[in-house]
Amino acid sequence: MSVPILKQGDTLIASIQAALSDRDLIELRDELAARVGRVRSRGVIIDVTALDVLDSFATRTIRGIAYTAKLRGAETVVVGIQPDVAFAMVQLGLGLEGIATALDLEEGLLLLRARKAERAIRR
Amino acid sequence: MADLADRTPSRLLSKEMGLTEQAVERRRRIVGLEARDLERIASIRGLITPRVDEYTSAFFNYLASLDEGRAALANRSVAERARQLKREHLVAMVQGDYGTEYVAQRLELAVLYSKAGLDLRVFLAAFHHLLETIGLTVMKHFEHAPLDGFGAFMSLEKLAFFDIGIIVDVMVFERERVIRQQQDSIRELSTPVLQIRERLLLLPIIGIIDTHRARLITESLLKAIRANRAKVVVMDITGVATIDSKVANHLIQTVTAAKLMGATVIVTGLSAEVAQSLVVLGIDLAKLNTVGDLQGGIEEAEQLLGYQVTRVGDHLGRSPSTEW
Repeated sequence: MSVPILKQGDTLIASIQAALSDRDLIELRDELAARVGRVRSRGVIIDVTALDVLDSFATRTIRGIAYTAKLRGAETVVVGIQPDVAFAMVQLGLGLEGIATALDLEEGLLLLRARKAERAIRR
Repeated sequence: MADLADRTPSRLLSKEMGLTEQAVERRRRIVGLEARDLERIASIRGLITPRVDEYTSAFFNYLASLDEGRAALANRSVAERARQLKREHLVAMVQGDYGTEYVAQRLELAVLYSKAGLDLRVFLAAFHHLLETIGLTVMKHFEHAPLDGFGAFMSLEKLAFFDIGIIVDVMVFERERVIRQQQDSIRELSTPVLQIRERLLLLPIIGIIDTHRARLITESLLKAIRANRAKVVVMDITGVATIDSKVANHLIQTVTAAKLMGATVIVTGLSAEVAQSLVVLGIDLAKLNTVGDLQGGIEEAEQLLGYQVTRVGDHLGRSPSTEW
């Protein structure tokens, strides 16, 4: 099943609704990488609220998405990691180093807005 | 039937202590009990068996001669049961079968001793006295072949040390049981997660952190982050007396998990000793965001959340008692 990608202002929101196969994940990665450039996004939000497991491949792919988006000029925020998922990831030594995380979609959007304001100030 | 026998307290204990057939065999190997010893013990069986009552008395009289021993056997029913078990022990000692059944007997007696609070030193002394009494009988019998007598007695002594090994283990195990129970109760002390401001949680940790408790702490913290929509967590470890690499690792895991949920964790209350021991251990806490004390941590958290706390006026607040 493919993941719907929504555009909200200069942010792309990928809301994962059900457990994904490895192929779905790769599709998502490629699609996001292409779209970031096409619509000139400054932020990407990956919502994993519906997932009750994040394995090493999923974690690696999400990291891949974040680094790719970064190179294309957009910051990625992973939102909605469930308590059990977070705990399992830590136990398995899976991390999302260098990638922003937020509690839910709302927080993620706020975070991106705050980062944008920071950039504006720096300029 | 076998099922029922498995449930007797001493059987349960032997299971708890891991005294399987192999473990017992290993214990026999350790004291060096061999076929030759069994033969020698068998050769003095006829000598010992008729005198078991005499030996039992020797053991208990010696105990009774010491204040500590008297106190432990003050309870009549306990003393009688101990006497009976000791008698059975002496009979079993020369029977030549030293498997799990024999060990279960030893366990029962050892549990009785430890429940009665018999001091290990006193027990050892009385046991030695018992062996001495037996030794005298044996040496008298082998008057004209002292080497054989010594050999037979030494074989019996190997068995005695086999027994002592078990008894000491049980007594230590029983004593540690208290420690284990206390640890359980410490662990069960709940770790509250408190909301002190909108989106700010306080997690005070007191006591010993082990793997199990660290897991509970992490779980309750993550659930609270979700339920309270927390952005910052102040974790205060003033009440954690010692931190080793394992505990530090647990803390780092908790912090990382909270980070994955979008919350920042500030660790406070590392005492000078703890900080030094972490440095000595070479544990890298770069992943942790630490502040000296709880107050500082809360102030930092407030800053992160955009709170600004100011005192109104120049007095130190109103005192309720004068406002009546």
